[in-house]
Amino acid sequence: MSKNLHKNICEETLYSNFFKKYADDLHSFLYYKFGDHLNPKDKVQEAFIKVWENCKNITPEKAKNYLFTVGNNLMLNEVKHQKVVLKFQQEKPKSHTNENPEFLMEEHEYSQKLQKAIASLTEAQRVAFLLNRIEGKKHKEIALLLDISTKAVEKRIYGALKKLKEQIHEL
Amino acid sequence: MEREELIRKWLDNELNPKELQLFKELDDYADLIRISESVQKFKPTSFDTDLELDKLKNTIAHKNQKRNWLKPLSAIAAAIVVLFGVYYSFLLQETEVSTLASQKQEVILPDNSNVSLNSLSSLSYNEKDWDQQREVKLQGEAFFKVEKGTTFNVKTKTGLVTVIGTQFIVKDRDELFEVICYEGAVRVDHNGQSIVLKQGDRYIKMAGTIASQTKTKRQSPSWISNTSTFKSLPYSAVIAEFERQYDIKIIAKDINSKQLFTGSFIHNDIDIALKSITLPLNLEYTRTNRMITLKGE
Repeated sequence: MSKNLHKNICEETLYSNFFKKYADDLHSFLYYKFGDHLNPKDKVQEAFIKVWENCKNITPEKAKNYLFTVGNNLMLNEVKHQKVVLKFQQEKPKSHTNENPEFLMEEHEYSQKLQKAIASLTEAQRVAFLLNRIEGKKHKEIALLLDISTKAVEKRIYGALKKLKEQIHEL
Repeated sequence: MEREELIRKWLDNELNPKELQLFKELDDYADLIRISESVQKFKPTSFDTDLELDKLKNTIAHKNQKRNWLKPLSAIAAAIVVLFGVYYSFLLQETEVSTLASQKQEVILPDNSNVSLNSLSSLSYNEKDWDQQREVKLQGEAFFKVEKGTTFNVKTKTGLVTVIGTQFIVKDRDELFEVICYEGAVRVDHNGQSIVLKQGDRYIKMAGTIASQTKTKRQSPSWISNTSTFKSLPYSAVIAEFERQYDIKIIAKDINSKQLFTGSFIHNDIDIALKSITLPLNLEYTRTNRMITLKGE
């Protein structure tokens, strides 16, 4: 990718590549930060449309920051600091299970506790932690994405894990 | 190694086999693993990048299409502007209506004021400026029924007649300037004088005489109903009017054209009309095609 050869990202393949590179990340970021009730997928679309409309003023280097800021703002316009509750996928009943009902119930209770615990994390902790645990991103990648230092990422993830453990034990 | 350091390394997938062993020996190892595994259930429904990209491209294409509408639209708008320009530049020219001999015509002005033009007369006005200034230029004779509104001016070579919502005639022939007000009031500016005529007032100025005011009882000029009426007017004016109404040439021999005539003639029967203007003065006439000769006895 000849990043620096382009003044802006109006060129179509450049824009497509930009989308392929960041759309998923933006979606995860918005999802973990704001939850799913505000349609993060729609916000991803809207944010990329804004980028396209202003593509003349956006250099390839600045595009990612611009995108994430726009996506974040779009969400903030709607969110009124509601508690973010992430839906967990229900365990699919296995056809050949030898897990006893008691175990399944305990598992479900645990998921509910975890859900509450995740909701009690700060936005920053939740985003960093879930990007790391669910999306499997390395600390360095998250640092780049969020424009913060690796140290800050480590701190957030570790803090999140510690808090989750405590919360689950308390509940 | 510190417990916290181990956990951090584990979180970043940086544990070497030896450290992994140490990590597994932590007393909360099971808790940590369970959280890490259970949290996987909170993964959002999968994000299909290709599908989302297609969707985005569709939206953008749609938006661009909308934007492209502006181009033909602006072209149309420009064309309309040009057309209006041409249209208005035509409007800048004055509208002129004129009548031939033995012809009468009604003219409806832009404000619905009605003008009846008598024979051999012409009227011109500016349609574009009509809203700002109601003004017509008149040569000859016309009967006006003016709609209410701002000042209405009739300009003639001889004088200016100013009115507000009224009915009147203005006659500006060779030697005769006549204004009769049938309804409302008009102001006549003539020879540096300003005279206001009320309903039934008649203002008349003949060559070589002083302007005078008389009264009329008529509701509208007689020529509107195809009759020319004269009240103490020189015979020459009668002859001139006759020529205009019948588009004919009259030669008067041994006749005092200055003597005053009171009477009328109709516009649709030349024989009866001739009798009407000759009998009272004991005149004889001979008629050949488009020429009439009048002779005193």
